[in-house]
Amino acid sequence: MSVMRRCDGVTRRNAVQVGLGGMLGTGLASGLRAMAESRKPAGPAAKATSCILIWMDGGPTHFETFDPKPDAPAEYRGDFADIATAVSGVGYSEHMVKLAAGLNDYAMIRSIRHDQGNHGAGNHYMMTGAPPRIPVGCGAFVSFHPSMGSVAARELGRDNGLPAYFSMPQMSRSGGPNFLGARYAPFVAGDDPNSKGFKVRDVALPRDLSELRFTSRTELRAKVDRMVRLQDEAAGDPAAAYDEYYRQGFSLVTSVQAQQAFDIHQEPDAVRDRYGRNSFGQRCLLSRRLVEAGVPFVTVYDGGWDHHSDLFGALRKRLPEWDNSVATLIQDLKERGLLESTLVVALGEFGRTPKISTLSGSNTPGRDHWANAMSVLMAGGGTPGGTVVGATDRKGYSAVDRVLSPENFVSTVYHKLGIDPDKVVYSPEGRPTHLVSDPTPIRELI
Amino acid sequence: MLLRRLPILLACFLSCADIVCGQDVPSVSGPAVSVPAESLVDFENDIQPILTKFGCNSGPCHGKARGQGGFQLSLLGFDSQQDHDAITKEGRGRRVFAGAPEQSLLVAKPTGLVPHGGGRRLEPGGSEAAALLQWIRQGSPRRAPAAPQLQSIQVSPAAITLAAQQTQQLTVTASYSDGTTRDITSLSAFQSNEAPIAGVTDGGLITAGGITGEAAIMARFLGRIAVCEVLIPRQQSVPSGVYAGLPRNNFIDPHVWSRLQRLNIVPSVVCDDHTFLRRAYTDIIGRIPTFEEVAAFLGDSAGDRRARLVDHLLQQPEFADFWANKWVDLLRPNPYRVGIKAVFNYDHWIRQSFHDRKPWDQFVRELITARGSTFRNGAVTLFRDRREPEEVATLVSRLFVGVRLECAKCHHHPFEVWGQDDFYSFAAWFAQIGRKGTGLSPPISGSEEFFFAGARGSVKHPVTGEVMTPRPLFGEAPAADSVEDSREALATWLTSPQNHLFSQVMANRVWADLMGRGLVDPVDDFRGTNPASNPPLLQSLGEHFRDSGFSLQELVRAITNSHVYQLSSLPNETNSGDTRSFSRHYRHRQRAEVLLDSVVQITGIPQDFQAMPPDSSSRQIWTHRTESVFLDTFGRPDPNQDPPCERTGESTVVQSLHLMNSEKLYSDVVSDRGLAKQLADGGRSADELSVELYRRIFSRDPVTEERELVRGLLEAEGAVRRQVLEDLIWAMLNSAEFAIQD
Repeated sequence: MSVMRRCDGVTRRNAVQVGLGGMLGTGLASGLRAMAESRKPAGPAAKATSCILIWMDGGPTHFETFDPKPDAPAEYRGDFADIATAVSGVGYSEHMVKLAAGLNDYAMIRSIRHDQGNHGAGNHYMMTGAPPRIPVGCGAFVSFHPSMGSVAARELGRDNGLPAYFSMPQMSRSGGPNFLGARYAPFVAGDDPNSKGFKVRDVALPRDLSELRFTSRTELRAKVDRMVRLQDEAAGDPAAAYDEYYRQGFSLVTSVQAQQAFDIHQEPDAVRDRYGRNSFGQRCLLSRRLVEAGVPFVTVYDGGWDHHSDLFGALRKRLPEWDNSVATLIQDLKERGLLESTLVVALGEFGRTPKISTLSGSNTPGRDHWANAMSVLMAGGGTPGGTVVGATDRKGYSAVDRVLSPENFVSTVYHKLGIDPDKVVYSPEGRPTHLVSDPTPIRELI
Repeated sequence: MLLRRLPILLACFLSCADIVCGQDVPSVSGPAVSVPAESLVDFENDIQPILTKFGCNSGPCHGKARGQGGFQLSLLGFDSQQDHDAITKEGRGRRVFAGAPEQSLLVAKPTGLVPHGGGRRLEPGGSEAAALLQWIRQGSPRRAPAAPQLQSIQVSPAAITLAAQQTQQLTVTASYSDGTTRDITSLSAFQSNEAPIAGVTDGGLITAGGITGEAAIMARFLGRIAVCEVLIPRQQSVPSGVYAGLPRNNFIDPHVWSRLQRLNIVPSVVCDDHTFLRRAYTDIIGRIPTFEEVAAFLGDSAGDRRARLVDHLLQQPEFADFWANKWVDLLRPNPYRVGIKAVFNYDHWIRQSFHDRKPWDQFVRELITARGSTFRNGAVTLFRDRREPEEVATLVSRLFVGVRLECAKCHHHPFEVWGQDDFYSFAAWFAQIGRKGTGLSPPISGSEEFFFAGARGSVKHPVTGEVMTPRPLFGEAPAADSVEDSREALATWLTSPQNHLFSQVMANRVWADLMGRGLVDPVDDFRGTNPASNPPLLQSLGEHFRDSGFSLQELVRAITNSHVYQLSSLPNETNSGDTRSFSRHYRHRQRAEVLLDSVVQITGIPQDFQAMPPDSSSRQIWTHRTESVFLDTFGRPDPNQDPPCERTGESTVVQSLHLMNSEKLYSDVVSDRGLAKQLADGGRSADELSVELYRRIFSRDPVTEERELVRGLLEAEGAVRRQVLEDLIWAMLNSAEFAIQD
C-alpha cells in the first residue's frame, strides 16, 4: 500500500502535534501519563486506562491456588492444606499467603468454564474471547480473532511514541492482532529484567553508543535525508508519516523521564526486593513502570504451569514467589494510587483435573487439563475488592454457581477499559465481527 | 488504510440499523410504502422491501446467523422462501394470525404494541403497518396470484459528471415481469465505493467531495444491484495536445493517459535514472543495487538502458525468490499445525515453480489438482492444510478469481450475486479428494499424508441438505464426472482463456505490487460494485498476460517498461491529490525482507537465520516462524495467524525505534568485518568515500553539497575516519530515502 490515510479523517500529523506539543513542559513520562488519563473512552464508563495481563501458560491448577477442596477425598484434595483469607468463609491453598491476606483488594472468579481442553484452543479462547473457529490441537499456535492486547492497542493506543501493547518475555500463542494488522502486534521485550544489564530493546540507545554521538548522528541524519517530502496531505506521502514516527521515537529516546520508565535499574533496591528478585517478579515490576508511562496493555507471560507431574514439588517452590510478586504488584499499584486506573488479571488457559493422576512414565503425581473449572484473579479498574464470584462443586469438577464463560471474562476486561465488547470490527473479507459474541460483562465486578 | 475501505462501507451499511436497533424510536422516516386497499399484497414485492427498509433483516437484528429472539430472517432478505416460512410456519402461528391480524406478532412487535427488543420500528396505523395487515388478512400468501416477478432494477442517471460539492439525486426503478415499473428509490439502500470522492445519503442523494476522481454508487433492492458511475474531473481543463504529446511506450500508457484526460489531470514528469534504478531493483528482485550495479547503470548512456535493465533483472534468480516470497505469504500455512516437512516441501514447490518460470495457468493447475505424498509433492500440502472442501473453495476463489466467497458460506453475499448455492456448488469440486496416512496432530504433525482422486464424498447445502453438483462460479466447465479427478475439470475452467477473471486477478496483483495500488483494490475483491479504476487497462493487462502464455516475467516487463511506471513520485500542480489514477508514482515503505536484505548488503554482515543455510537472504526463508525481530518489526505476517494474511506497508514508531536503537544493527555497522572498517582502511579520498556510501546506500551519486558534507566531517578536527563513516551509514539507514521507495 502506498497511501495511508486514517479512516477517521484525522491525520497522524495532527494527532502527534497535539500529543507531543502538550508534553514539552511537563516531561515526557508524566505527559504520556496525563495523555493516558485524558483518554476519553468511547464505550462503557471506563475505570481502567491500562491492563496488566499475567498469563499463566499451561493452565494453572485451581486446587492448589484459589479454590482448594479441603472436604474432598484425599485423591482430590491433594497435598496442600487450606488457609483462611481476608474474606470470611473463603479459603485459599496454603502457599497463597499474601494474596489470601490481600483479598479485600481484588476479586476472585471461580466459575469460568469452557470446553477447550487443549493448550492451543484454550489459549485462544481466553486470550481473545472467541473459541478457535476450527478444531485445533494441543500444541497449536493459532489466531483466528484479535487478542485483548491488540484490541486494547487499537482502541486505547496513542501516537505518542510508546508501543501500546507489550508482551514480556514472549508473545503468547494467540496474543496477536489477527486481522487488525501488524500495527497492533505486541512489542515483545525479551531478556530477563532480573539480569544485571537488562534493558527494554530498541527504546534506549545501543549500549556502546554515547549520547553525544547519538545527538550528532541525529543531526547528521537531518542533513543526509534529502528526500523531498510531499507537502499536500492528500498525496498521502509515507515519507511524511515516517518523519512523524521518527520524531516520536526520538522524543522517547531523548526524554530522561521516558527512559527512566523503561529502566528497571532506577527502581530502589527495596522495591525490587519486594517484588522478588526473580524474572517473574521483576517483570511484574516493569509492567507497573510501563503502565505508569501510559502503556495501555502489558502481558506478563509466565510459562510452565502445565503440571502433569510433580505438581506438589514444583508448586512448593514456585507458588511462594508467585504469590509474593502478584500480591506486591496489586499492593504497590494501590499505594501509588494506580489501582483504580489499572486492571490486573491473572489466569491461564484452563484449570486442572480434580482427581490427581500419575501419567505413565512419570513417578510423581500431577493434574491434567480441565476446562470445566478455573480460577481467575481480577484487580483494579473499579473491581470491588473481596468479591468472590461463583463456585465449583465439592470436588472442584465443575463451575456450578454463577457459571461464566470466557466471553463474559473478556467482555469484563473490555468494559473496564472502556471498550465496547459489542463493537463490530471488520475482517479482511469485510465480514462484520463482534469483538465478543456474548458481550455481557460479569456484573459483580463492575 | 484504504485496504479497509470495504469494511468501512459495510459499517455504514449495517450500522444504520444497528444504531436504531434497541432504541425506542417512533419509526424510520422516509416515503411510505402504500398498497391500494383492494389490491393483493405480494410477499416478495411488497412485504420484503418493508422488512429490508426498516432493518428487520439486517445483520445485527433478525438477519444474523441465529436470528434474534428466535425469529430468523435471511440477511437482507435474499431468501424469500426461508423468510416466508419463518413468518408463516414458525413461531407457533403467532407471527401471522389471519383471524385477528392486529394481534400478529409481525405487526404487533414492530409497532410497539407488544414489547420488542428492537423498539418501535413502524408507525401504528402507518402505511407499512397497513400493508402488513392487509397481507395477513389475505392469508399471508407466498406469492399473490399473478404477482409479477421483479426483473431488474435501474438507477438513473447511470453515469454522471459532477463538479466538486455538486449534488445529484438518484432514482431507482424496478421493472417487473408484467411490464410495470415502480419507483423504489425510498426502498433502496445506497453505498459509495469511494466516499471521499462522492458520498451518498440513505435517500440516494450524491454529493461530490473535493477530490478529483471516480466513484461507483451502488443502489440495492431485494438482492438486485445497479451502479451509477460518478466522475469528478478537475475544474480547469487541460489542452488535449498535452495528452497527445505524452510518450506511449506500450499498450499501458494510452489507457492511463485517457483516464487522466477525462479527469483533467496531467501526469508527473519521468523519474531520474537513479530513482528508476532503485525502483526497478527493489520491485523486481527485492533488493537495492550494489555499488557495482549502480556504477554500471549510471555509466550506461544508451537510450534503451532502462529496458535492458529490466531484462537483466528478470533473468536473476532473485526474481524468482522475491516473487515466490509474495505467494508463500498467501499460501503457506503454519508448520506447527500442518507439519514442518509438509510446509517445507510446499514452500519449495512454490519457490521452484517461480525458478522454473512456470506459466501461471500451469502453476494453478498443478496446485489445485495436486496429488501424491506430502513428502514428495509439496503442492498437496494445500489439501493437508485446507482439509474441508469449503476451506479450499474460499482460497481458490479468492486468490485465483478474485471473488470473496466467504460471505456466501453462511448467507447470500450482501453486495454480490453469490448465494449459498453458488458457494457449495463451487466447494463440491473438492468433495472427492481421497486421503491416506496421518492427518494433523499439532504441534508436530510430522507424518506423511497422501492425496488422490477419491470416489467418495459430497458437499451438501447446509439448509436444504441437497448434495451439490460441482458448478463453476460462471461460464461453463467440463462435467465433473467426465474426468477422473473433478479438480481437473475445475482447473480447465479456471485457467481457460475465456476466464477473464483468472488472468485479470493476477495481472491486478502484479500491477498493485509494482504500482503501489491495484486497479481493483483490495486486490482480491472483484465485483460489480467495486469496479476497477481503469477497466480498459485491466482488460488489456489481463489479455496481455494471457496472450503471453501467462508469463509473470512478461507481465512485469510490460508494466515496468511503461512510461507510467517510470513517472516521478513528485506531483505537479494538477495531481498531488491523485492516489488512484496513476498520474504519478506512489511511494511506499519497502517490505520487511527488502529492507533486511538491503541492510545485510550494505553492512556486509550476514544474518543468521534459524533453519536456513548460511548467507541465506530473508526472501528465502521458508517459514515465518524463523525468528527475526527485524522482520517482525517491519510487518511480516504473524506466523500463528490462520489463514495467512496480506501484509500492510504501514510505518510504525516501533520500526523507527528499531532502526535507531537495535543492538544488532548497531553492532553490524561498527563491526570489524563491516563496511565502515573496510572503507576506512582503503585509503580512499573523501570524495571517493562519499561516492561509495551514496551508491551503496541510496543507489545514486552524491550531489555537491553531499560530497562537501562528507568531506567536512572527515576533515574536521579530531575526526576519527571510521567513526565518521559509521555515523554516516547509521544516519543514511535511518533516512526516509532508505526505507521509502521513491
